Amino acid sequence: MGNPMKNLGTPKNIFLESIRDCLGKVEGPPLEQRENLSQSPDELKQLCAELRVTLDKELDVLLSDLSVSAEARGWNVHRPANVEAVLDHISDIAKIWGVTDISRSDQQVFTEYAIDSGISNLGYNITTIAHNDFPDDRTRLRNAIISSGIGITGADYAVAETGSIVILPRKGLSRLVSVVPAVHIALVRKQDILRNLDDVFLLRRLDYHLGNDMGSYLNFITGPSRTADIEQTIVIGVHGPKEVHMLLLD
Amino acid sequence: MINPKGIKASLYVTCIVDQLYPQVGVSVVNVLRKLGVQVEFPIDQSCCGQPLFNSGYVSEAKELALRVIESFKDSQYVVVPSASCAAMFREFYPSLFESDPQLHDIAQNFSERVYEFSEFIVEVLGVNKVNASGDGRHTFHTSCHMLRELGVKDQPLSLLDGVEGIETVDLPQREVCCGFGGTFSVKYPHISEEMLSDKVDNVLSTSCDTLVSCDMSCLMNIGGALSRNKSGISVKHLAEILDEENS
Amino acid sequence: MADIKTKSFVTASKSSIKDPQLRQALEKVGTGFDGARREAIEEISEEKWEEWRLKAREIKEHTIDNLDYYLDMLYTNVTNAGGYVHFAHDDNEANAIVSQLVEENNVKIATKSKSMVSEELGLNHVLEKLGVEVYETDLGEYIIQLAEETPSHLVAPALHKTKEQVASLFQEKLGIPYDEDIESMARTAREVLRDKFLKADLGISGANFLVAETGSLVIITNEGNGRLCTSAPRIHIGITGMEKVIPSLEDLSTFLRLLPRSATGQRLTSYVSIVTGPRRITDEDGPEQFHLIIVDNGRSKMLADPKLREALYCIRCGACLNICPVYQKVGGHAYGWVYPGPIGSIVTPNLTVLQNAKDLPFASSLCGACREACPVKINIPRMLLNLREQLVQPSDGSKSTSTFSENIAAKSYTSLMKHPSMVKLGNIMLKGLQKPFVRDGVVSSVPIPPLSIWTRSRDLPKLPDKTFHQIWENNLKDNQDTNG
Repeated sequence: MGNPMKNLGTPKNIFLESIRDCLGKVEGPPLEQRENLSQSPDELKQLCAELRVTLDKELDVLLSDLSVSAEARGWNVHRPANVEAVLDHISDIAKIWGVTDISRSDQQVFTEYAIDSGISNLGYNITTIAHNDFPDDRTRLRNAIISSGIGITGADYAVAETGSIVILPRKGLSRLVSVVPAVHIALVRKQDILRNLDDVFLLRRLDYHLGNDMGSYLNFITGPSRTADIEQTIVIGVHGPKEVHMLLLD
Repeated sequence: MINPKGIKASLYVTCIVDQLYPQVGVSVVNVLRKLGVQVEFPIDQSCCGQPLFNSGYVSEAKELALRVIESFKDSQYVVVPSASCAAMFREFYPSLFESDPQLHDIAQNFSERVYEFSEFIVEVLGVNKVNASGDGRHTFHTSCHMLRELGVKDQPLSLLDGVEGIETVDLPQREVCCGFGGTFSVKYPHISEEMLSDKVDNVLSTSCDTLVSCDMSCLMNIGGALSRNKSGISVKHLAEILDEENS
Repeated sequence: MADIKTKSFVTASKSSIKDPQLRQALEKVGTGFDGARREAIEEISEEKWEEWRLKAREIKEHTIDNLDYYLDMLYTNVTNAGGYVHFAHDDNEANAIVSQLVEENNVKIATKSKSMVSEELGLNHVLEKLGVEVYETDLGEYIIQLAEETPSHLVAPALHKTKEQVASLFQEKLGIPYDEDIESMARTAREVLRDKFLKADLGISGANFLVAETGSLVIITNEGNGRLCTSAPRIHIGITGMEKVIPSLEDLSTFLRLLPRSATGQRLTSYVSIVTGPRRITDEDGPEQFHLIIVDNGRSKMLADPKLREALYCIRCGACLNICPVYQKVGGHAYGWVYPGPIGSIVTPNLTVLQNAKDLPFASSLCGACREACPVKINIPRMLLNLREQLVQPSDGSKSTSTFSENIAAKSYTSLMKHPSMVKLGNIMLKGLQKPFVRDGVVSSVPIPPLSIWTRSRDLPKLPDKTFHQIWENNLKDNQDTNG
């Protein structure tokens, strides 16, 4: 990782003292602490438990809400009944795009929906982006992603209100696999669907305040990449994926 | 609803009405009297100071403010046929004196007694329809101060709608600024004229006979361009419309 | 510091207002962005929208009032996550920090996703002088980088360019055949920049928000360049203003609801990326180093003034630009620096030199549409008035920017207005003076400024025979009885 770094620029205490001067205040917490920052892990646990109960009751509604909102946001939404149907969708997409190489993350959903042999049988190369301890393995994997026409991931959460999936990169779940290839396919399990952004943040905050790592990255993905920077005209597919598919697994 | 008979209201006439459009002041008095209000006119009233305040001359504006507050110290209601002057009184007078608690209180007290003309009729007198009639096609321009400083929007429109015999038509982009902005119009005329041109186009598109507003500064601005274009459209304050009665 | 051209507002705006292409582009901004914003609000209801605005404002007010506390919390949590936080007092310090990181890490290629603060710093030039190849990757920013121009809008930096101009630009700078098909040009940008994304040593981003609770940097984008800049290279530097911090992840959802809708009418952008430190040892990819540079660069000036403090609540959505009738006529470049439009008219004078930007607070009719559109309810007109006072009657001993004749006019006006007898006299005089100028009941041309400026495009009513005062005295006041 190189030399241990130090903080550059103005020392923190000087910078913060100057802010205090501007505000005419002394060091110390706010007079009124924010409610959300005063919540104990137990309170958060309770809220999450309540959330889970609510979600379990509403799963089917959430599934159809997600389906609608995701389509409105440019996802191609499918509801494959089984792993064969999943393979059919992948194969259709690969054919249309003339793809030879596919990469996928290594997530729980791929144990339940084992697609590797099916994909290989159809004649495509599929690489799982999960590194071994060999040096340069990450380079191999990065190159595999770069040459893939399709990136397939699961989704840690999906958000019904916004039509989004949430990805938390970690071991076995690359950041690049869902953004570099031109097509991204996301397998979404019903039990991972949340109602809205608040639900996502509540769950993440509980995890964090229980002492777990936030994780280096949290990604909300809501449709394909787009721009309107030339004459305010919308173009789909700029730097990120041009096409995104959501496979809703019941 | 307050019984209009027995209410005493003091008229703050505004420089522009006093000097350039006195008939508006006359109409305001007539309409208020029609509604049973006793009208007073503190004779030594002066400019509200807004042109100075908006130009950064705050200490001069304060001098005039003190004069106005003094002139109206005994007035229970101060009725103003100009949303921009009313906004000056309500929204800015108290803050002019924030560093002096005593003066601030006096200014605050004054500001709470101020009403724009249409606001006074609807909110204080509880009158939604004034006995008036006219003819021709009318459209209404909502001044920025009325809409966004005073928060008055529907009152003048409903009063206009209540006038018998006239046709009212919506002004496209009614709530977009006409480009006056006080000294802005002569400091940055190239920008002001563009904004004014849009407003004039919108007025012309309604094929109206009369443009109505509650701010003569806007009407002086738009009316000035309508006159230059020889459009034949007249500009009138809402009070003048409410003062009309065809036999 | 980026070039400051605020002194040229009048000449720049006079020329931009005559540019038909620009005017057409700016009209789209009003009807397009602002129209979409209104639709997005209608979709969720005005009441709900107002609820969110009040909540957002309350969060920002609380945070800015306790800015030191939350920056301290942010520092701790970024550091615990393995990142580094550097505080920069001004542009020189910020540029020095970036330069040191670049040199220590042997950076040759850098990709940038949008950062308005980096524009303040003139960072690209600094990097180029160090021999670094810098690539803006947001399509609009990429276009203006190629054109060697500055952004003209907060959200759509290249809105002033037509597709023909972009096609010529690509032809000239990229050596490709002229093609004005917009999709085609976007594809070209994708291909060219893809290579850079993957070769870059350093990715630079701004931040839409910083979350103190978790030590996170949040960027919201549509193109995917933000993700690639912050994931593909081995170093990620986030550069942002110190006012961007919010207390909790929970607070973030309010802003995620307001910002995309206010900016472009979208419910949510294609991507929201929350970065918390560098990649972890077990991650598959991501930068090995994360540096957050928190920049003051003059923001303390606004922080220290309770009347200007709320300018720091700005979330840079551009809604005020889209609704401003002045911005819609003159465009962003006329404002002369990084931040245009209503919020720019406050921020630019405070981050540069107030007296050199004196036109900005005055070039407004104070219509208040900006305040109405602002998702955080910033009282822009109030602050513009405050800046006008600071320019004309400075309380800190600096020199007033008003001219001798302006001061005389103000003082005379005040004296006149304090003496009704003088007003009467003035009226009589003017009635006499106007006579030669009255035609068909109006005054259409007066050779003396400012009336000459007015009468360029408008008639003036002629002064009537009697003022209201006179009418009242003579016949109106005694007629107290009304028949209703």
